[in-house]
Amino acid sequence: MTDFINAQPLPRPRTLVHPGPVGPIRIEHRHAPLGRHFRLALEPGRTLHEAIVEPLLGLGVRSASMTLLGGRLSKLLYCVAPPDPTGERVANYTRPIEVGAATLVFGNATLGRNGRGEPLVHCHATFVCDDGQVRGGHVVVDRSVAGAPIPVLATSLDGIELRITHDDETHMPLMRPFAAAAQRSPETSDA
Amino acid sequence: MPEIHRVEAGAMGRVAYARVAPNEDLVLSIEKLCVAEGFRHAFVRGALGSLVDACFLAPGGGTRLVHGPAVEIVSLAGEVRTQGDGSLRAAITGIVADTQGHVHGGPFVAGANPVCVTFEVTLEEWLPS
Repeated sequence: MTDFINAQPLPRPRTLVHPGPVGPIRIEHRHAPLGRHFRLALEPGRTLHEAIVEPLLGLGVRSASMTLLGGRLSKLLYCVAPPDPTGERVANYTRPIEVGAATLVFGNATLGRNGRGEPLVHCHATFVCDDGQVRGGHVVVDRSVAGAPIPVLATSLDGIELRITHDDETHMPLMRPFAAAAQRSPETSDA
Repeated sequence: MPEIHRVEAGAMGRVAYARVAPNEDLVLSIEKLCVAEGFRHAFVRGALGSLVDACFLAPGGGTRLVHGPAVEIVSLAGEVRTQGDGSLRAAITGIVADTQGHVHGGPFVAGANPVCVTFEVTLEEWLPS
């Protein structure tokens, strides 16, 4: 049986060369035995960072993956990642672009820890600016503010510690999964 | 042709999180993550990161290239299914933002979407009953 008898040639993917040594592990992964799910409504007037971190920490959730559903933001700042003119990295974030109020279309976010052990939220999203333009990028969560109770589905990653570490290959600070040092026992634990 | 089930009942199982390194393919790395974790079926539950360039399937069977680097992944949806021959196949669609913040979307072409700096993905195992 022949598939794709009319297939057209694909654009040839580019393999980029990063400034540092290539790490031996290409897919770093861990799993939680069961996802614990929470619905959040992000509190209007607070930054996305505060409105995500505070309720999750209150639930004992230290690592999570989140889906941000649609809603209003009273202020949004985001970055894109064009080539780094210094050559220190392949690409680097721009200075934050402030778009004022905007409507979130959809976003994904990860809750982890920064190098100092403080909660950190990494968020990418698609949004509509008030001039009607649809844009997307890396959301600056500690300066972007919820304008309405934005619904968020959060999935706790029990037993996984997500931590930002310096990546030698790309020279960027990146989120990576580690075994959680002292796991809070979820309801499913029989320990 | 495999029979199409209109409704498949089941439950969610384990949740896997991965960080995928540069130059690995977006679609194939999701399949490899399922192999590594022993997931036969899974849904993408969250994903963010960047691509060198993004390659989408275009209407009519062609492809559409969004030039980076880096192209930011801003929305991703999809699933992984075990095929009749035991292989795994991911079907992934999404929206990316180019270096100007302009958005583009469609189905990602397997093998043509290399990761730029990092790709974080969360999969939830699907256990048909």
